[in-house]
Amino acid sequence: MLEVRNIETLYGLVMALRGVSLQLAEGRITAVLGANGAGKSTLIKTIMGLIEDQPDKGAIWLDDKRIDHRDTEEIVRLGLAFVPEGRQVFAELTVQENLAMGAYTRRGAAVRADLERVYGLFPRLLERQRQLAGTLSGGEQQMLAIGRALMMRPRILFLDEPSLGLSPLLVREIFATIARVNAEDQTTILLVEQNANMALSVCHQGYVMENGRFVLAGSAAELANDPDVREFYLGIQSEVSVKGYQRYKRKKRWR
Amino acid sequence: MRKGLILALSLALTLALAGVGVAAPVRGVSDTTIKIGQWGPQTGPAALWGSVARGTGCYFELLNAEGGVNGRKIEYFLRDDGYQPNRTKAVVKELLENVGVFGFASGVGTSPGMAVMPDMIANEVPWVGTATGSTHWAFPPKKTIFAVYPNYPDEAAILTNYILFTLKKEKIAFIYQNDDYGKGGLDGAQAEIKAHGKSLVAEIPVEVTDTDLASHVMKLKQAGAEAVIMWVLPKHAAILLGTSAKLGFKPQWVACSTLSDAPLMHKITKGLWNGVIFGNFAELPDSTSPLMVKYKAAFDKFADKKSDHWGVFFYAGFGFVEPMVEGIKRAGKDLTVDSFVKAMETLKDFKGIMGRVTYAPGERQGMREVFIGRCGEAEVTTPDGKQEKMGQAVRLSDWIAVK
Amino acid sequence: MFFQLIVSGIAIGATYALMALAMVIIYKTSEVLNFAQGDMAMLSAFVAFTLLTENNLGFPAAFAGALAFAFALGAFLEFAFLRRAKEPNVLGLIIITLGLEMILYGLASWKWGSDQKDFPFPVSDFDTHELGTVVVSDLNLVTLAVALSLMLLLFVFFRYTKAGVAMKATQQNEVAARLMGIRVNRILMLTWGISSVVGAAAAFMIAPVDTLDPNLMWTPQLKGFSAAVLGGMTSLVGAVGGGFLLGIIENLFGGYVSVEFKSVVAFAVIVVVLCLRPSGLFARHYVRKV
Repeated sequence: MLEVRNIETLYGLVMALRGVSLQLAEGRITAVLGANGAGKSTLIKTIMGLIEDQPDKGAIWLDDKRIDHRDTEEIVRLGLAFVPEGRQVFAELTVQENLAMGAYTRRGAAVRADLERVYGLFPRLLERQRQLAGTLSGGEQQMLAIGRALMMRPRILFLDEPSLGLSPLLVREIFATIARVNAEDQTTILLVEQNANMALSVCHQGYVMENGRFVLAGSAAELANDPDVREFYLGIQSEVSVKGYQRYKRKKRWR
Repeated sequence: MRKGLILALSLALTLALAGVGVAAPVRGVSDTTIKIGQWGPQTGPAALWGSVARGTGCYFELLNAEGGVNGRKIEYFLRDDGYQPNRTKAVVKELLENVGVFGFASGVGTSPGMAVMPDMIANEVPWVGTATGSTHWAFPPKKTIFAVYPNYPDEAAILTNYILFTLKKEKIAFIYQNDDYGKGGLDGAQAEIKAHGKSLVAEIPVEVTDTDLASHVMKLKQAGAEAVIMWVLPKHAAILLGTSAKLGFKPQWVACSTLSDAPLMHKITKGLWNGVIFGNFAELPDSTSPLMVKYKAAFDKFADKKSDHWGVFFYAGFGFVEPMVEGIKRAGKDLTVDSFVKAMETLKDFKGIMGRVTYAPGERQGMREVFIGRCGEAEVTTPDGKQEKMGQAVRLSDWIAVK
Repeated sequence: MFFQLIVSGIAIGATYALMALAMVIIYKTSEVLNFAQGDMAMLSAFVAFTLLTENNLGFPAAFAGALAFAFALGAFLEFAFLRRAKEPNVLGLIIITLGLEMILYGLASWKWGSDQKDFPFPVSDFDTHELGTVVVSDLNLVTLAVALSLMLLLFVFFRYTKAGVAMKATQQNEVAARLMGIRVNRILMLTWGISSVVGAAAAFMIAPVDTLDPNLMWTPQLKGFSAAVLGGMTSLVGAVGGGFLLGIIENLFGGYVSVEFKSVVAFAVIVVVLCLRPSGLFARHYVRKV
């Protein structure tokens, strides 16, 4: 399975990842939580080979192959699919063509079946299959981006902020689909989210990232019960003292 | 007395120094060499005419092999200007300032020549035999510039006259490149036909960049022209004849001497050149005049057969420069710009492989005659044994001088 | 006269259309205006010429060989020059194509000389058909057929084949294309190859009417570019429509208004189009958010 060993990634002179190690559990959903700018997206982009000449240090292994410093195209062909932040659908291709591009590296009857399956998962895409992707709503584009990635039949699916800019109803729908894909296909999923509530509701294990480092790791339940996570990521107020005084401002333990 | 002596001595010294008088060195001339430059389009739309400049090179090699002129070998500097006036300017600047040539031989193109003429005048650079018939070189006359090529108005007038009175066709149209070159021809034709109380039935301009001449041909056809005079590039002549053949327009085509390379024109027009009448400024390729035979031998010996054939443009490079060489010869050992100009002015009915050339003080248009030729065909066997028709110029008239 | 002008316009327009197609194909995938397009085609025409006259191949073999050369040339130029550009931006790439244009031009002048040659072609421009007063030559018809069938072929290619759709995808979002496992570099090479083939086809049609020399494609390229702008730069149908329209406008203008300004009218049309409809006459361009 995918293993990230102590990688450091530089954006020019800025160090975005400062020694990150990560091991994905086969067939599980792993979530990476963290605030804006913590380095979550950078982590995935580094894994996918989208940042040129990075990671600067460390290694990324898939099974027993080193996959860092390879072309994105080749990494994708190893079974890693990435749904980037902001959808990145092909705006001037139709929905159907977008999905066909997802299966670019594959051929045969299985592709047809997968297309049916994606349309099954997202019936709205079926209705709009001849429409240009650029004319879809944000939610539909997100569905298309996920569907397109699923057309690769990936071993590992990376999702970057799938909830961004969507209505709560749609977010729920999308996360339900993510859980379903994981359950039905045993697809390993790495989910990067700011919406910790939603992420923790579907993931099996998670990491918390701050300033380019993991500061906390654990199962979904452990994280959900961690007082710091509860306060800083889930937004649940710690209890107020009996006398009605606000307790001292909590500090994160990991600092 | 003492003062007088000093005065006398210093005077004597001055005189002595002046007497030893190392005459100021003349640019491009040493005891053993003369440097001569030329520009010519080796690339670009007019590259066909670039062989003139290579012909000149061949001529100089012949002269050098014979021992040079007055004991001086000619060093020849050929530069490609691509028929682009700005590049011509750069070429001339380089040859004058860095190489330091005595003068320029020939040089193809009216607009390239126009671009450098001011420099030539300002620096009094000898420049003989521009390979174009523009009137700008000789009118008004300039001290060091000598035109050889019969000017376009003269030639157009001769051709027009020939159409009117020998071919007896009165509906004449004129198609011309829309610049000095084409307009020069147009002026001559207009003047000649007006002198006989008629006018051209159509005057159609062609831009250098045009590649589709369908509407041009339709205008000619509509005007009902019986004869059409062309003052265009070879490329346009080919397109023009092709388009006309297609549209069923078959006038008598008459062409400027710039299109007088019959074998080549026959080839690039796929045979349509057969029957075209054109002006000629030099003997035909198969001429048996002693000079032509000698030059042909030089071609066989020195020329690069891959890029050149024994065609009129190649040996025009000899012909345009013959008067210059004659001038250098007549100027003798003491060659300066002034002695050269004086010598040139003594040329009267000088005859090389072209028409007669005459200069005088105030007269710089050397040649004022052309003869008429027609493209015929000859069967030739190609190296791989195929029978092929080749264009061949046939002489129709003697040299005709402008009246 | 009117109909003849239209027909002549369509005939010349077909060659503009082919050049426009060639330019649009590259522009579509990389937003690069390829100024070497004309000279790539010119070089291919010279290769066809050599195969025909020196190697004595038949027309089918010689043209097939030259088209294969064209494809290889296009792919090679992309591989050897454009891909090497460090931190490429569109302007830089365009300047590279300008440099390539000069290199190819020099190469052709050096190898084949700059004098005019006559380009053999199986179909003659002098075998004509008369429809009333209108004359059409066999060559015109063949040119038209080639232009239309290439357009159709490209249309099918871009619409229905995986590689074709992948080209469009690459143009629209290169990063996303990489994420689909599309080998973007190969797609670009393929693009250049195909474009070069289309340009070469145009050169084969133009050379028999014109004379073959290194300047063969100078004007056709400018006209092709104008036609492409007229058609909106990214639309294949637009490029072809623009080509025909330009040919017709030019001829009508030359016939009825002024022959003198005929060759300039193309550029006047561009200016007008760019002012009134910047996305071209035929484009239904989806405005991209940058």
